[in-house]
Amino acid sequence: MADTQPTEMMEEDEPFFSNLDLFLFSLIAGLLIYWLIFRKKAEPIPEFKKLETAAPTTRDTSFIDKMKKTGKNIVVFYGSQTGTAEEFSNRLAKDAHRYGMKGMAADPEEYDLSELSRMGEIDNSLAIFCLATYGEGDPTDNAQDFYDWLQEADADFSGLKYTVFALGNKTYEHYNAMGKYVDKRLEELGAQRIFDLGMGDDDGNLEEDFVSWREQFWPAVCEHFGVEATGEESSIRQYELKVHTDLNMNKVYTGELGRLKSFENQKPPFDSKNPFLAPVTVNRKLNKGGERHLMHLELDITGSKIRYESGDHVAVYPINDTAMVNKIGELLAVDLDTVISLNNLDEESNKKHPFPCPTTYRTALTHYLDITNSPRTNVLYELAQYASDPKDQENMRKMASSSAEGKAQYQSWVLDSCRNIVAILEDLPSLRPPIDHLCELLPRLQARYYSISSSSKVHPNSIHICAVVVEYQTKTGRVNKGVATNWLKNKMPTDNGHKATVPMYIRKSQFRLPFKSTNPIIMIGPGTGIAPFIGFIQERGWLKEQGKEVGETVLYFGCRHKNEDFLYQEELAQFEKTGVLTTLNVAFSRDQAEKVYVQHHLKNNKEAVWKLVHTDNAHIYICGDARNMARDVQTAFYEIAEELGGMSRPQAVDYIKKLMTKGRYSQDVWS
Amino acid sequence: MAADSAVSNGGENILTDSDDDILNPNDLSEVLAAGTKESHDKAENSPFVKDFLRGRIKRELFKLGTTALYYVYSAIEEEIEKVKDHAVFAPLYFPSELHRQEALAKDLAYFYGEDWESQISCSAATQPYVDRIHEVGRDDPVLLVAHAWTRYMGDLSGGQILKKVAQRALKLPPTGEGLNFYHFEGIHNPTAFKRLYRSRMNELEVDAETKAKLLDEANLAFKLNLDVFTELQEIGKDIEEEVQDIGPHAHGDMGGDISKCPYYAAKMAVSGNTTYACNFAKTVLRQSTVQVILATLVAAVAGLAAWYLM
Repeated sequence: MADTQPTEMMEEDEPFFSNLDLFLFSLIAGLLIYWLIFRKKAEPIPEFKKLETAAPTTRDTSFIDKMKKTGKNIVVFYGSQTGTAEEFSNRLAKDAHRYGMKGMAADPEEYDLSELSRMGEIDNSLAIFCLATYGEGDPTDNAQDFYDWLQEADADFSGLKYTVFALGNKTYEHYNAMGKYVDKRLEELGAQRIFDLGMGDDDGNLEEDFVSWREQFWPAVCEHFGVEATGEESSIRQYELKVHTDLNMNKVYTGELGRLKSFENQKPPFDSKNPFLAPVTVNRKLNKGGERHLMHLELDITGSKIRYESGDHVAVYPINDTAMVNKIGELLAVDLDTVISLNNLDEESNKKHPFPCPTTYRTALTHYLDITNSPRTNVLYELAQYASDPKDQENMRKMASSSAEGKAQYQSWVLDSCRNIVAILEDLPSLRPPIDHLCELLPRLQARYYSISSSSKVHPNSIHICAVVVEYQTKTGRVNKGVATNWLKNKMPTDNGHKATVPMYIRKSQFRLPFKSTNPIIMIGPGTGIAPFIGFIQERGWLKEQGKEVGETVLYFGCRHKNEDFLYQEELAQFEKTGVLTTLNVAFSRDQAEKVYVQHHLKNNKEAVWKLVHTDNAHIYICGDARNMARDVQTAFYEIAEELGGMSRPQAVDYIKKLMTKGRYSQDVWS
Repeated sequence: MAADSAVSNGGENILTDSDDDILNPNDLSEVLAAGTKESHDKAENSPFVKDFLRGRIKRELFKLGTTALYYVYSAIEEEIEKVKDHAVFAPLYFPSELHRQEALAKDLAYFYGEDWESQISCSAATQPYVDRIHEVGRDDPVLLVAHAWTRYMGDLSGGQILKKVAQRALKLPPTGEGLNFYHFEGIHNPTAFKRLYRSRMNELEVDAETKAKLLDEANLAFKLNLDVFTELQEIGKDIEEEVQDIGPHAHGDMGGDISKCPYYAAKMAVSGNTTYACNFAKTVLRQSTVQVILATLVAAVAGLAAWYLM
């Protein structure tokens, strides 16, 4: 009985102790947890009070104060209607950190821009203006107030450093008017431009214009403020190299621009991504003498379903010289037959590769990359890091800067001396970049355009090209060759039993004959500028054979020597004989002491010209060099209108301009 | 009388008297350009177009607009094919440069899917436009010139602006899906093409009476376009879709109501935006309630502890 009782007592004690222990532990844990939470939650109260105190002083529209508070020294204002200028501004602001600076993008509508005069209060400060032009040379909506204010402003901007990138479209009359105005006006108000106005052309490639400008802009900023790219002496690569060792060769690009194997399995429609491989059926020299090589080629388009009109352009994809490609391989000590891909590190980007991949270095350098033109400064800047000789590195960086000395050096050493990438690698032995980075940096090899020198009415399955082979001696004693014309020159109809082919497509032109064959035409085309007019004359000849009435067909042609480069002389004589060509005027510029050009012949025939233009509704066509010939011819027309039309110069200018607007004065010119 | 008046009016608007002997003010391209200026301005300043240019365009409206264009261009191009070899239109026949039907079909396939044809219909304002084009094609085909000029030249010019706005506002891909209509692939220089088109218009053999009729038809074409814009504007009032202002959506899945994002509200409050300061204050107050609850809990625990110790 006694034994039983002690056992019961022990049982009672055990549960009690256990409960007590549990309770105590929970209490301590709970207390600790809640206490900590209480302490953390106390934080918001002081913060809220601080906010109330701070709010009034930051309610205004001062971007200067905002920049100071956030430690920014670069502000990018955008005038944006479709969002592109805003996008560019955000990218520029983001870029700044790579150069030890801090940027912010800003909407000019939200800030008081008279504060630009206070920019000097911030060290190493810079304002960038990314401005689109809208409508008829107007500012975008969000830049309207800034524009209005700027016109009336009488501010002192001597502390402001700035640059402008303008977005526009060359097809509009007031091309980049807004950007040009701001760039000029800020300077008038005392601001200092630290880099040149950039001009983006949406009719061309706005993105490329922006990237090119930006790639020279930042080196200029670094030089101006004396800063280096922070902790990143090397540039940031955009693409990552992947070497393929066991890839099926059927998946490797061999020069195709779009669909893999599109050169083996040709399918219409043919365009810039899918060129047609046209056999060369004729390749003959046109000139009878002289140092130059002028040539006439015929491309066979039978079976391609390609259609063209007189005056259209044929686009030709040239191939780089094998010797130059091999030279790059030697200089960089690389096996050019390595199969690689360059993959964009930005996986969001639509551009997966800089050129079709996978491919070999040889194919990239032969088909895809431009190795014959002088590199732009951004390429030199990116490559400079690989020069082991500090002096070479310094020189390359200097040439890529915006300093006057650097620009002069780039102009003379690279441009005036016509150094391409091969020449640069040869002349700078310490410069040996990785070939993959070089391939990333070199621009794409572009198609070349030639005015078609045939009529589809007479030659429906054949496209004719007239071109002069580009070849010249450089100051460094090298011979530089135009990539396309030299390649075409060697395209003989029978090439060891194979048909020589040319990847091509048609780019439709707006350079067209009048619809009515009775309308008179005046054609002015010296040298190879005669190309589209051979097609025009062929077509009018064909119409005449069809029994159609054909209006006056007048040609002004110019060349250097009658016995050397009078192109298509026999064909023109035949057209003159049959009456298709009603008047042929030829100016031989170097057959006598005094130079005679097409514009001189125009003025000598001013009465006939004026009658055709003013009374008979003639259409005028000009083809050739834009810089000199086209301008001189236009001046000749002004003078004829003044003299025979009794106009003042402004009236004559307006007259010719109206002819242009009505499509009666057309130009197919290049610079 | 009406004919003479219209032509004369056009002439006066184009050139001063002293210029009359210099260039022909009665060229068709100049008659139409001057005579439709008022209509053009009205269309350009319609609420729908203005909203569009500011990037305030609803996706559903853009789809309906594309549908309307599809019916209109199908009609124009169907009638053009019938007269492509006739003197009244042949000089203006540029199918590979201008024809839009195929591009619009691609856009509709993108927006509505493969069975897009069964999902679209011709709207109440579009139908009279389509009917008028067919009527003209049947009864007086030279007047097709007015419809072609009004639509093609307009889309070649202003369309380039609208394309960029739509791409940003509706987040269409930069590769061009949904916007094929605005891409005139066969024209690499729009300015040069418009000049060519004008020179071809001026080669048409049209007398003064026909020019007057063409001018009236061009103004009618502008009115018909304006009716479509007005209809779209009215439909837009019933659509509850958020108007997406141009600008990046930095706040993810909040469906555009950025004032609900605490981070954004705080950021705006710091920058002095009074609307968001108010929202931020409310947030803080709600947190004060939490503190009261916590204080109560602490007191209860303390009481419990005291009871146990006693």
